[in-house]
Amino acid sequence: MRAKLTVLAAAILACASVANAQAAEQPKRGGIFRVYHRETPPSLSIIEEATFSVNIPMMAVFNNLVDYDQHIPQNSMSTIRPELATSWSWDKSNTALTFKLRQGVKWHDGKPFTANDVKCTFDLIQGKSKDKLRKNPRKGWYENVTDVTPNGDYEVTFHLKRPQPSLLAMLASGYSPIYPCHVSAAQMRTHPIGTGPFKFVEMKQNESIKLVKNPDYWKKGLPYLDGIEYTIIRDRSTAELAFIAGKVDMTFPTVMTPALVKDIKKQDPKAICEIVPINVSTNLIVNRDKPPFNNADLRKALALSLDRKSMIDIIQQGEGDIGGALLPPPEGVWGMPPDVLKTVTGYGDVKKNRAEAQGIMKKLGYAPDKPLKIKVSTRNLATYRDPAVVLIDQLKSIYVDAELEPVESGAWFAKIARGDYAVGLNLTGNGIDDPDQAFYENFGCGSQRNYTHYCNKDLQKLFDEQSQMTDLAKRKKLVWQIDKQIQEDVARPILFHARSGTCWKPYVKNMTIMTNSSYNGYRYEDVWLDK
Amino acid sequence: MAIVDLTSVPAEEPFRDESVWSRLRYYAASHPLGVVGALIMLVFVTVAVFADFLTVYDPTATNSAIALAPPGAAHWLGADYMGRDIYSRIVYGARISLAVGLGSTALGCVLGVVLGLASGYLGGWVDLVVQRVVDVLQAIPLLVLALVMAASLGPALGNTVVAIALPLVPYAARVIRSNTLALREQPFVEAARATGMSEFRIAVRHVLPNTLAPLIVIATAQLGAAILTEASLSFLGLGVPEPHPSWGRMLSESVAEYVRVAPWLVVFPGLAISLAVFGTNLFGDALRDILDPRLRN
Amino acid sequence: MGAYLIRRFFLMLLTLFGISVLIFVMLRLVPGNIADILFDAAGLIDSADKVKLEHDLGIDRPIVIQYVDWIGGLAHGDLGYSYVSEKPAIDEIAPRIPITAKLAALALTFSILFGVPLGVISAVRQNSWLDYVLRVISLSGLSMPSFWIALLILILFAHYFGALPIYTDPPKGFWNTLWLYSVPAAAVGFRSSALVMRLTRSSMLEVLRQDYIRTARAKGASDQAVNYRHALRNAMLPVVTVIGIEAAFLMGGLIVTETVFNIPGVARFLVEAIQWRDYPIVQNLVMFIAFVAVFINFLIDVLYAALDPRIKYAS
Repeated sequence: MRAKLTVLAAAILACASVANAQAAEQPKRGGIFRVYHRETPPSLSIIEEATFSVNIPMMAVFNNLVDYDQHIPQNSMSTIRPELATSWSWDKSNTALTFKLRQGVKWHDGKPFTANDVKCTFDLIQGKSKDKLRKNPRKGWYENVTDVTPNGDYEVTFHLKRPQPSLLAMLASGYSPIYPCHVSAAQMRTHPIGTGPFKFVEMKQNESIKLVKNPDYWKKGLPYLDGIEYTIIRDRSTAELAFIAGKVDMTFPTVMTPALVKDIKKQDPKAICEIVPINVSTNLIVNRDKPPFNNADLRKALALSLDRKSMIDIIQQGEGDIGGALLPPPEGVWGMPPDVLKTVTGYGDVKKNRAEAQGIMKKLGYAPDKPLKIKVSTRNLATYRDPAVVLIDQLKSIYVDAELEPVESGAWFAKIARGDYAVGLNLTGNGIDDPDQAFYENFGCGSQRNYTHYCNKDLQKLFDEQSQMTDLAKRKKLVWQIDKQIQEDVARPILFHARSGTCWKPYVKNMTIMTNSSYNGYRYEDVWLDK
Repeated sequence: MAIVDLTSVPAEEPFRDESVWSRLRYYAASHPLGVVGALIMLVFVTVAVFADFLTVYDPTATNSAIALAPPGAAHWLGADYMGRDIYSRIVYGARISLAVGLGSTALGCVLGVVLGLASGYLGGWVDLVVQRVVDVLQAIPLLVLALVMAASLGPALGNTVVAIALPLVPYAARVIRSNTLALREQPFVEAARATGMSEFRIAVRHVLPNTLAPLIVIATAQLGAAILTEASLSFLGLGVPEPHPSWGRMLSESVAEYVRVAPWLVVFPGLAISLAVFGTNLFGDALRDILDPRLRN
Repeated sequence: MGAYLIRRFFLMLLTLFGISVLIFVMLRLVPGNIADILFDAAGLIDSADKVKLEHDLGIDRPIVIQYVDWIGGLAHGDLGYSYVSEKPAIDEIAPRIPITAKLAALALTFSILFGVPLGVISAVRQNSWLDYVLRVISLSGLSMPSFWIALLILILFAHYFGALPIYTDPPKGFWNTLWLYSVPAAAVGFRSSALVMRLTRSSMLEVLRQDYIRTARAKGASDQAVNYRHALRNAMLPVVTVIGIEAAFLMGGLIVTETVFNIPGVARFLVEAIQWRDYPIVQNLVMFIAFVAVFINFLIDVLYAALDPRIKYAS
C-alpha cells in the first residue's frame, strides 16, 4: 500500500514538473545538442564501468525499471518514478519486489522488450549467465538479491534474502540500465542497444560520440532533440574556450572547477552555470595493519591535524562541503547535520585539535626537529595529487615530514591491496546518495572496496539494522550514529566532498543538474533547444 | 651535419705563449653571444645554489588566501592555484631542473662515451652490435622513448634522470665513435702502440682526452634538450613528481587549465625554461665555433 | 654500389628487428597491464575476472610466445585487436595517420619556407647585425618548449580573434583544413624551422669557404651567382638529410601539440595507448613510426650514394 502511494506521489510530482516547464515555454523540436566530453570512455557499457564518463553519454541510450525524476535535483526515495516498469509492490515480508512492465517497448534493433530482458540483465551482473562481463563493479549492489524471476512477459519479481528498501534506490541509479538478452556483453561495450530516447550511432576515439533520436521511443512525442553529439576535448581550458566560442552548447557535466566557471561567466555572462556537490569524497586510506599507523594514537593525531576548511579553500576555491561518509545536508539526504558533525573527533576547532595532536606526537617521541617521516601515496592524477600536496603541507604542523609518492593508474589499487603504503589519498564516488551503498561498499567487513580492511563487527550489525528499516526518520538517526562511529575509528578520514560546475547556453532548456549524485541525471529525453 | 663530422684535428694555436685569461678575452670578444649565454647560465647556477637566500617563502607551502594572486609587491610573480609563491618555486625549480638536466646529460654522455669508444676503438663485431643498438635507440622518437621509460620506471627524480638520459646516449656514442675512428690512425696512437702500451691504456690515455672537445660541445647542446624533455614529460603527467617545484611540473596539465584565468602561472615557468635553455644554446654555439677549427673565423 | 645498398638494406631490417624487441620488452616492463588498468579504474582488486581477462587477451602467456605471435601476425598484415576499443588495431591506427601526416607535412613546409632562406641570408651576411638577430631568433625557437608556444598561441587567438583553431569536427574543404592545421603546424614548425635555419647557415658557411667557390669568385662571377647557384646547391645536401630525419622526429613535438589543439592524430593516440597499456596499438604504432624513420634514413643514404661521387663504399 505504502509503495503504491509512493508511486502515485512520484507520478504526480513528475507530471507537475513537466507541466511547469511546459507552461513556461512550448518546446521546439529538432537540433543537435552539442556537449564536450572530457575523455574517450573506456567502453560504452554502463554496467561494466565505474565512471560518469560512460554514464553521461550513454544514459540517454537506455531506460531503467525505475529512475530518479530527471528534474528534481535532489535524488531520494520519494523522487523515484516508474520507467520501464509501470508500477511496483512489495510482498508482506518485504522480501519480494514485483514490477509490472510496460508493453509495446522496442529495443533499438526492433526486437520487443520483455521481462526476460530484465532477468538477463541481473543474471549478467550476478554472474549467473553464460555470457560474462569483462569486469563487474556493481555485483556488490545486489548481494541481497537471490533471484530475479519473470512472471510471463510483463511482470518480474526480485527475491531478497532480507528486507532492503534501498534496492529501489540502486535500481533507480544511472548505473542500472536494462540490457537486452539478445545482444552480447562484448557488443554492449562497443555498440550498445537500448530502449532509450536516443540510439547510439558511433564513437571515434579521441574525437566524438554520436547519438541520434529514437523515432520509436515509447514516450510519445519524445525526445525533442534530433541527436546529441559529444566532442572529446581532453584539456579543460581548451574545452572552456570551445564553450565560450559556441562550438558546444554545454560543458561536460560536473567537471568545471570554480575558477573556470567564474571565467566562463565573465566571458559569457548569459551562460547558465551551476556548481553543485557531485557526491565524490576525497578521503584518506590509512594502513592500520602496519607501523606507524597501526598505533591508534597516531591515527587520532592524523585525524586531528586536518584543516578541512583550508583544504576546500585551496583545492576547491571554497566550493566543497565538510562531512562524514555520507554527503552532508542540505544537498545530501543522509549526511550528519552540523550539530552532530561538530562533536566528531577532528571536526572541531583546528587550533585546539592541532595542539592536542602535537601533544600526542610529543608523547610518541616526535618533535619539530625529530619528525615522523612517511610517504603519502596517491594516483598520479591532478585531482589526487593536488589534495595530497596540501595534506603534506598540513602534516608539517604535527611534526610529520611527508613525501608524495605518485602511483601510476593501474598500479594504484594493487599497491593498496598489497598493504604497501602508510597513508593513501583516494577519491570515492558514490553512485547514489544511499547508506547501503556507502556503508557496505566502503566499510563492510570483507568488501572489495574496503581497502583498509577496517572491520567492526558491531557496526556491521548496525549496517544490517538500518538497511532493513522502513521508517526514514528513525533510519536517518541510526545512519548518523554509524557515520560518526566510522569517523571516530579513523577508518577512512573524509577530507571533503567536492562541488563541481556545469555551464550551458541559455537556449538549452529543461536541463537539470542533480545535486547529490553525478551519475543519475542524463536521460535528456525532454531537453530541447530554443534556437 | 657539422656536429657529427667534428673531429679534433690539432689546430693551429695562435696564442701558444699567452695566458689563459687573454685567450678567454679573445674568445669573449669574438663571440659576444656566447658571453651572453655564459652569463645566463651563470645566473641560473647561482640561483640554484643560493636558492635559500633568494626567497622568503617556502616553495611547497600552500595558502588559500593568496591562491591565484596576480603578480604584485608581496608575490613578485604571483601565486599558483594552491597559493604557492611562483617566484620561490621558480628559484627552487632551478635547482631541480638543473639537477635533472646535468644529471641526465652526464649519464647520457658517460654511457655514450663508453659505447662510442668501444665501438670506434675495438671495431669488428663490437662496433656492429653497438651501431645497431644506437640505430635502434635513434629510430624511436626521443619523447616516445622517454615516455615509455618514464612510465616503466615510475615518477621519481632519479628515474626521470634515467628516462631522459637514455635517448641522449646514441648522439654522444655517434660522435665519439667517429672521432675515435679518426684518432685510431693518428701517428701518436701508432707510436704509443709501438712502445707496447696496452690497447685499453691507449684508448683511455690517448684517445679519450682527444675526444673531450666534441664531447663538451655535445653535452652543452644536450643540456638544453634534457631540460626541455623534462618539461614535456611533466606536461604529460610523467617526470619529476610534486611537490618538487620543477619548472616542467609547474607547467603540468593541471596548470594549463588556468592559462586564461591566471596566465602568470603558465608564462613565468615557461620563460624560465626558455631562458635557461637559450643560455645553454648560446654558450654551446660559441663553444662549437671555438672548438671546431673549420668554422673558426 | 649495389653491394653497399644490399648491405644497408639488411642492416635496416636488423635495426627494425631490434626496435621490435626493444619496444616489446619495454612495454611489458611498464608496471600494470590492461587488466590492471581496467580494474583499477573501476576500483576493483584481486578479482577472478581479472585473471580471466588476462587469459582471454593472451597476456598471461610467456613473453617469447607473445612476441612470436605478434611478429607472425605482422607478417600476414594482422595487427591484432585493440584491448580498449576491441576493434582491429589497423582500423584504429590507419585513419589517424593522414591527420598527423598532414600536420607534419605542413610543419615541414613551414620550416623549409622560413628556415632555408633565412639560413642563407644569415650565412651570406655572416657577423652582420642581421645575422645576429636571425641567430638569436632561431636559437630562441629551439629553446622554447613547443607545448608552451602552443599554449601561448591559444591564449592570443582566444584573446584577440575570438576564434579558436582547435579541432572539434573533421574539417570540411581545403581552406578549412588549412586553417585548422596551420596554427598547430606553425607551433611545431617554429622549432624545426629554427633547426633548418641553423643547419643551412653552417652548411652554407662551410661551402662558401671551399676552394671551388673561391675559384668561381676569382673568375669574376657575381656574388649573387656564387651564393645562390654554386654554394646553396652544395649546401643543401646535409640540410636535406636533416629535414628527412626531422620529418620522422617531428613526432615528439606533435604529441604535445596534438594534445593542446585537440587533434585526433596518432601522436596523442600513442600517449593514451601507453597509458592504457594497449599493447597492440603501442607496438604497431611505434613500429610504424620507427619504420618511417629508418626508411627515410635508408633513402637518404641511397640519395647520397647517387648524388655525391665523393662517398666511397669500401667496407
